[in-house]
Amino acid sequence: MVKLYGFPLSTCTRLVALVCKEKEIPYELISVNLAKGEQKAPEFVAKQPFGQVPYIDDDGFILYESRAISRYLSKKYQGQGTELIPTDPQAEALFEQAASIETFNFNAFVAPIVFEKLFKPFRGLQPNEERVSELLVSLNPKLDAYEVILGKQKYLAGDSVTFADLAHLPYGTAFYQVGFADVFDSRPNLSRWWKDISNRPAWLAVKDGA
Amino acid sequence: MVLKLYGFTTSTCSLRVAVVLKEKNVPFEFIPIDLTKGEHKAPGFTAHQPFGQVPYIDDNGLILFESRAICRYIATKYASQGTSLIPTDPVANAFFEQAASIETSNYDPFVSGLAWELMFTMWFGGKTDEARAAHLRTQLSGKLDAYDVILGKQKYLGGNNITLADLFHLPYGAVVLSIGIDEFSGRPNVSRWWKDISSRPSWEAVKAGL
Repeated sequence: MVKLYGFPLSTCTRLVALVCKEKEIPYELISVNLAKGEQKAPEFVAKQPFGQVPYIDDDGFILYESRAISRYLSKKYQGQGTELIPTDPQAEALFEQAASIETFNFNAFVAPIVFEKLFKPFRGLQPNEERVSELLVSLNPKLDAYEVILGKQKYLAGDSVTFADLAHLPYGTAFYQVGFADVFDSRPNLSRWWKDISNRPAWLAVKDGA
Repeated sequence: MVLKLYGFTTSTCSLRVAVVLKEKNVPFEFIPIDLTKGEHKAPGFTAHQPFGQVPYIDDNGLILFESRAICRYIATKYASQGTSLIPTDPVANAFFEQAASIETSNYDPFVSGLAWELMFTMWFGGKTDEARAAHLRTQLSGKLDAYDVILGKQKYLGGNNITLADLFHLPYGAVVLSIGIDEFSGRPNVSRWWKDISSRPSWEAVKAGL
């Protein structure tokens, strides 16, 4: 059984859990105590040199970086559950384009906003509202481009869901819930796509805890 | 029809694609986009690249954007020529994906942020946020400590063979060095790796601009 070393509410841990649910891969979550800094302890850093969650132990095979783990599991379990990475060369290229869009044109802005508005208060720190405003100024035109793309096709890489869509869910959901729902809801195509992916049973199964 | 690369002569992301085209011996035609005239925001451009960013390619009618997606497409399509850049063995492939993800989340945000604060923002009439630049440098330094551990055990980021993930570091690595941020030389393994990848003929061929 895949051992997932992470934190139940960590965005990146839940991304891997989501992929396991989509691919019907049984996993065991082994909780890493972030509040006690367990991820910076020598035994953890020996496996994950950046001291970050999650990592997996798949029968002795250690892998970290949630997107890498997700890709590895999606390929290993091809033919089971939802297909998340296309194999047709052109469809695969468009998937890679979508995966890169998520990282650089969405996550780059949404993750720091979530950090300011959710993670900092959780640690008793004040959000930097000026930085949040700057990030939103950058994010809005990106989502206008999403609106154009999603007006022509159902999902970010084409008409089938891929891992690139799912990768938006952990940080996107936190962003949506921490007061920015209107940023998605005000764009009809984006909103349609968001409602679709955020209501997938696999996401509903893990969104409140991996 | 020869592959067309639409980009800006010294743009980091355009160079990222160019170094991979060279490494794979793929002929291409470079079509310059004048960023100073806002050509990348004009309707003729955004029809192909909705985010209004360089580069994109036209490979016999297939339009693809996001430099890392383009690189992956080229490395896969031309797998049998030039340097092998994406391993196919499942374990080696997983380690490649781990390395590719390390580059996007544990390197790019810091080097691109430093490039912005210390160089690019001035081109657009902005000024350096010194506190942010200092913070980014501290963060980069911590990440490269982990790189030094990894590269003490293996030659490249994904294992003992070079992959796309190593090449992805080149453009912003060169930019930050050019503005006096040297976090490589003081770390023996990182320094060895950087010298290796930055002296490849493919990088020498494109690094001064297209």
